Amino acid sequence: MIRIDNLGKRFGELEVLKGVSTTISKGEVISIIGPSGCGKSTLLRCLNLLEQPTAGRIFVDDVELTQSSDVPALRQRMNMVFQNFNLFAHFTVLENLTLGPVKLLKKSPAEAEERARALLHMVGLADRADHLPHELSGGQKQRVAIARCLAMDPEVMLLDEPTSALDPTMVSEVLAVIRNLAKRGLTMLIVTHEMDFARDVSSRVFYMDEGRIYEEGPPGQIFDHPQRDRTKAFIHRIRTFQAVIDSPNVDIFALHADIGRFCDKHLLPPKAKHNAELLVEELIQILMPDLMAGKALGLTIDYSESKRQLILSLELPPGVGNPLVAEDEFAELSLRLINNLADSTGCETLDSGALKIEIRIKQA
Amino acid sequence: MEITVELRGDTKILRPAGRLDFESSKVFQARVLDEVSGSAGLCVVDATELSYVSSAGLRAFLVAAREAGRAGGSFSVCCLQPLVAEVFELSGFKQIIPFHDDLEAALNHG
Repeated sequence: MIRIDNLGKRFGELEVLKGVSTTISKGEVISIIGPSGCGKSTLLRCLNLLEQPTAGRIFVDDVELTQSSDVPALRQRMNMVFQNFNLFAHFTVLENLTLGPVKLLKKSPAEAEERARALLHMVGLADRADHLPHELSGGQKQRVAIARCLAMDPEVMLLDEPTSALDPTMVSEVLAVIRNLAKRGLTMLIVTHEMDFARDVSSRVFYMDEGRIYEEGPPGQIFDHPQRDRTKAFIHRIRTFQAVIDSPNVDIFALHADIGRFCDKHLLPPKAKHNAELLVEELIQILMPDLMAGKALGLTIDYSESKRQLILSLELPPGVGNPLVAEDEFAELSLRLINNLADSTGCETLDSGALKIEIRIKQA
Repeated sequence: MEITVELRGDTKILRPAGRLDFESSKVFQARVLDEVSGSAGLCVVDATELSYVSSAGLRAFLVAAREAGRAGGSFSVCCLQPLVAEVFELSGFKQIIPFHDDLEAALNHG
């Protein structure tokens, strides 16, 4: 359906896309992941000519887009949903959905309204038809934006980080709508940082890096068995929270906030987040004498999606004792909490003489 | 750590808001000790707005309860959020400090 041949995009001296080539079949749902600045959004914007490519060609059903002069017609076929919704602020929700079909698709107002109401019902906002955008939450605005895109009957929907501007509590309502569209067979390309979502909904995942599709494959391959080095490093980073605690004056509030954000990113339940924060604090309390003696602790929290497991690891330099063995009454209370918040705990001595503590965190 | 104090007759109702980690529990402990020292009345901690308590927070509660006892008064806690209540349970503190589901029960029991 879509063929991209050696697509390039340069902004002055900066070459963002350096030869992107792929094909996309009808009904596919492609998630595009990768580090910031790698060209994910630029690729999407080139597909509907919001950006004009500087090299290469794009074909839709063997018709070359890059030479197209009818840009509005192109954008109707490949319609886009943006991170910041871009609703028409002075029109009601219903008017946002009917404007395009009436003006561009030449539908009658009655026909456009009937379809708009059906789409609003589909995205769960039938009762918001007469509201203005500023009266809606972020999640509601994005669902309206998706409905507005669908009102134009696109063949392909392009979604550019559809949940990145949303409060974590609103992300799931928008992802639910997108999942529903995927089940209905709509061809979609989605730039996203929501890895669990990308795994669930995609037929293929593009990992972009170095201005290209660095690696592509089914979700199982990209997320569980990445083949190439940069893909492996990226997947490891998003699955892992790391911090070095090297001072008794550690900012526990900030550390907890970082851990909380990591847990929110993976849509972990509140109990998992709470247990992770509490375990880290209890370990720091037990190890406070070592921190005061100038030792540094290497903290890692890994989220294993396939096992739905949160694993806390602490690497301790030689000379630091095992914090999981109570030496005094003070540590005993902390240890009682640690043991009750963990599915299992373990301690291993590494070749270097360092100790590695591993705690599998209870999530329920 | 924000703590408000309400007086109802001889009873002091303390309402801490936020998190009791090893930093903020120092402030909490100092404030609660101020309120219970030398006071023979009832002190109730309404924990509705307490979202997190670590072992440091638990120790602060214990110190306060002991000081209230020494002063001839009584000390109890009410309205724990579920995750915080679980921490008190796991630590065994529910056997040491009286707990109540709501403020009225805490006030009536005192």
